[in-house]
Amino acid sequence: MARVTITVNGKPETTDIKPRTLLVEFLRDHLGLTGTHVGCDTTQCGCCIVLVDGRSVNSCTMLAVQANGASVTTIEGLAEGDKLHPMQAAFREHHALQCGFCTPGMVMSALELVQRNNSPSDGDIRYWLLGNMCRCTGYHNIIKAIKAGAEAMARAR
Amino acid sequence: MNELDANRFHEIGRSALRKEDFRLLTGKGRFGDDFNMPGQAWTVMVRSPHPHARIVRIGTNQARAMPGVLAVFTGADCLADGLGPIPHNPVPSTQYDMKLTGPGGGAVFVDPHMLLPADKARYVGEAVAMVVAQTREQAEDAADAVRVEYEVLPWLERSEDALAGGAAAVWDEAPDNILVDTFFGDQEGTDRAFAAADHVVRMEFHIGRIMPLPLEPRAGLARYDEHTGRYTLYFSTGGPGIVRQRRQFAAALNIAPEQLRLVAYDTGGNFGAKNRPYVEHGLALWASRKLGRPIKYRATRHESMLTEYQGRDLLTRVELALRSDGRFLAMRAENIMNVGAHCVSLSPLAKGAGLITGAYDIPAARLRSRAVFTNTTPNNVMRSSGRPEVTFAIERLIDTAATELGFDRIELRRKNLIRPDQMPYTNAVGSIYDSGTYEANMALCMRIADWEGFESRRRQAAARGKLLGLGLANYVESSTGSPKERAEITVTPQGRVEVVIGTQPSGQGHETSFAQVVADLLAVPLDSVDIIMGDTDIVKEGGGSHSGRSMRHAATVILMAADDLITKGKTIAAAILATTPDAVEFQDGRFGAQQVNRTFDFLELAKEAAARAPAYPPANALAVVKDNEMHTSVYPNGCGVCEVEIDPDTGRVHLTRYAAVDDVGRCINPMTVDGQTHGSIAHGVGEALCEQICLDRESGSPLTESFMEYGMPSSTTMPFFTTEIVEVLSPTNPLGIKSGSEGATAGAPAVVISGIIDALKEFGLRDIAMPATPLAVWQAIETAKAKLRSNERPAPAAKTVAVEAVGKGE
Repeated sequence: MARVTITVNGKPETTDIKPRTLLVEFLRDHLGLTGTHVGCDTTQCGCCIVLVDGRSVNSCTMLAVQANGASVTTIEGLAEGDKLHPMQAAFREHHALQCGFCTPGMVMSALELVQRNNSPSDGDIRYWLLGNMCRCTGYHNIIKAIKAGAEAMARAR
Repeated sequence: MNELDANRFHEIGRSALRKEDFRLLTGKGRFGDDFNMPGQAWTVMVRSPHPHARIVRIGTNQARAMPGVLAVFTGADCLADGLGPIPHNPVPSTQYDMKLTGPGGGAVFVDPHMLLPADKARYVGEAVAMVVAQTREQAEDAADAVRVEYEVLPWLERSEDALAGGAAAVWDEAPDNILVDTFFGDQEGTDRAFAAADHVVRMEFHIGRIMPLPLEPRAGLARYDEHTGRYTLYFSTGGPGIVRQRRQFAAALNIAPEQLRLVAYDTGGNFGAKNRPYVEHGLALWASRKLGRPIKYRATRHESMLTEYQGRDLLTRVELALRSDGRFLAMRAENIMNVGAHCVSLSPLAKGAGLITGAYDIPAARLRSRAVFTNTTPNNVMRSSGRPEVTFAIERLIDTAATELGFDRIELRRKNLIRPDQMPYTNAVGSIYDSGTYEANMALCMRIADWEGFESRRRQAAARGKLLGLGLANYVESSTGSPKERAEITVTPQGRVEVVIGTQPSGQGHETSFAQVVADLLAVPLDSVDIIMGDTDIVKEGGGSHSGRSMRHAATVILMAADDLITKGKTIAAAILATTPDAVEFQDGRFGAQQVNRTFDFLELAKEAAARAPAYPPANALAVVKDNEMHTSVYPNGCGVCEVEIDPDTGRVHLTRYAAVDDVGRCINPMTVDGQTHGSIAHGVGEALCEQICLDRESGSPLTESFMEYGMPSSTTMPFFTTEIVEVLSPTNPLGIKSGSEGATAGAPAVVISGIIDALKEFGLRDIAMPATPLAVWQAIETAKAKLRSNERPAPAAKTVAVEAVGKGE
């Protein structure tokens, strides 16, 4: 067993885990944060993306021990009570989700994009989302939502 | 029935934001893998590496001795416990379904789909044993240690191979592997029309095998409660819904349906993949009783790609007879569906059979529909099942006829499209199209796609060395589905309107769109309505979500229930107001009577009635249960237009524009309908450009086992879409609803290939097989160039261009 301390959504979590535990397993199975999803085995679908020290990471491809000492933000850590984060709100307003399975990864991925580029073009967003798959929306509304979410975040600053 | 006044609708027709979204956006969804229980064990399947092999012996000793292993079960154990096959009932049987028969007109042979086979494995990936262990990792390791001795048998991949005869039988009961052989339409009339025709155009297509690919792999948690003797399965599912699947799982487990509870809340996409029960869920239920532990299962993506029910795979040969002026006279078609190793659904074949003539007035038609078994993953309904295949055939045939006979492809379509004054229109194989303005749809779609501006864009693209093509196709599809639906509506004294219904959404937004209907019919705020689904302890009847049935069936039965509820409300209001029920009116959302000052809306009435309990016990005061059975099909229809830009040096096809017009009947929520249209287009575009299941010809093993090999459309595959909703109300149901969501998929493959052929017209290409990957397009261009160089005219009779099936689009 290995002892890790990972700050998840602002709260330090110290747990003994098997060294082979993936970060996504740590989040889902140990902490019960099931908003982070697993959609593939090959680091391609992006459903499991979380922020690790601000960077978007496929949590199915990172060991939890690698995140020891890091700060992790999951989809559960964005809203403040009933108030959605501007990016979450933009997804709702632009109907950028249908089944909602890819959505947490999409939102978390979008947050790093906006950190890097606070005014992304449609093309920037499409290129950035090559690591996120969606089968419901044809991506149309997701592109629009991320653009609007980026604008809303810029306004909030 | 309460007379509908659409002018009074506030919610119906409004793009209300979705009630589902808050939980889904905050990680509070409850998907199949999100259920856990203390003490749960995990199961992992042992899967066949062979497409066809007799199971000689299964050695389990080594696996059983491994750490954490609780049990290893095989097909023999299932038989010993009296488990039965999953009753898929694959032959469509509502009143208006095309009636499929076995060869010679007899019953269709439906194979017994056992939870684990005891005799043979019939496709690569078929589960032949299950391992249960304390953890998933232990179960995975032990599954690798199960020794299965196989006698490898000859195997079949394609329909053509099956029809060629002499192949090994997948099922001994169907020695020539043919399970359906049915003729439809008028042989004599069709033959006469062909004999008298001025032109006949023939084509042959193989609409390839693809995957529905919801992003959520199937998962579930099964628990047996020894105190109550009941089983519970928490999972995610789709199409048939939990009511039907409860019966199916109960039959396979040989228990009474009442002993089984199914719970399914959020589903991470379906598109047909979750439209039939899976063996793993049944096995987990069975093992949970044998081992006295909750058992959890989650498919890996790899397992999903091997074993999730697949779609399409239709071989179709079509012929169109035309008069010299371009009028269509008759059509012949031969459709062969490859059902794979188990027949889980013949709906694609039957649906397609009813629509071979597309949106066109073709007086005579003759169709032979066949289905064959092969050693491939079971084939099932996939989004818009059966319709994209036949739409592709008729639309491609018309484009080809136009090119070869010198007609303008739009004029040729206009001349033959079914006119509004012909509605309801009975087509040559007996389908009754309810309503639609097909030519107007096409004109609107061409307008929003800026058809007129194409030539100028083509010249601009040519200046950059690119080939621009313009594609178009019309479609008509049919929405049928399970005919029964129930609505239970209760207005609670707490100010909620609870609606229990048996549909099974996977992203369509039923909690919102159904609530919009309820809100308007009962004149209550949208926020007061709760749509309750997904638990067989609550939902006792209902037909699930497939075949575009949900909105139409739900709205119809909700309307009927609302009428009953208004009647009931009048009785209660009469008692409170000390008058008679027939003196009470429900107007502008309020119950009132002449010369009485007090009025109540539904929420106030429920509260008032409860306050006067026990005279009006809240449990049955303002509550109704209504059942409806509705067999009549509706025929959503529309048009798609695209532009593709091809790089002749690489063969890469870049989709630059896509416009779609969809007649969905009355549209309840334009935002969600448009959203589903976008995804619907994407499915068809993926099929046309990049999606394809490939098997290794030697081993029969799928080469498309992950997202690395399978061409899943990405964010850069798609352009922004331009969509318009047309609302020609269907006369078949009180709200005039047809269906959204599947129509654009029906048209899109034909639209995209039409655009590609148009872009390549200088090369005289007649057709290109799907998917039109860069390699396929590049090879087609180079082959055509070589032919042109050697002064050979491209042979018009050539079949689809043979392209080695490797790789993917992006």
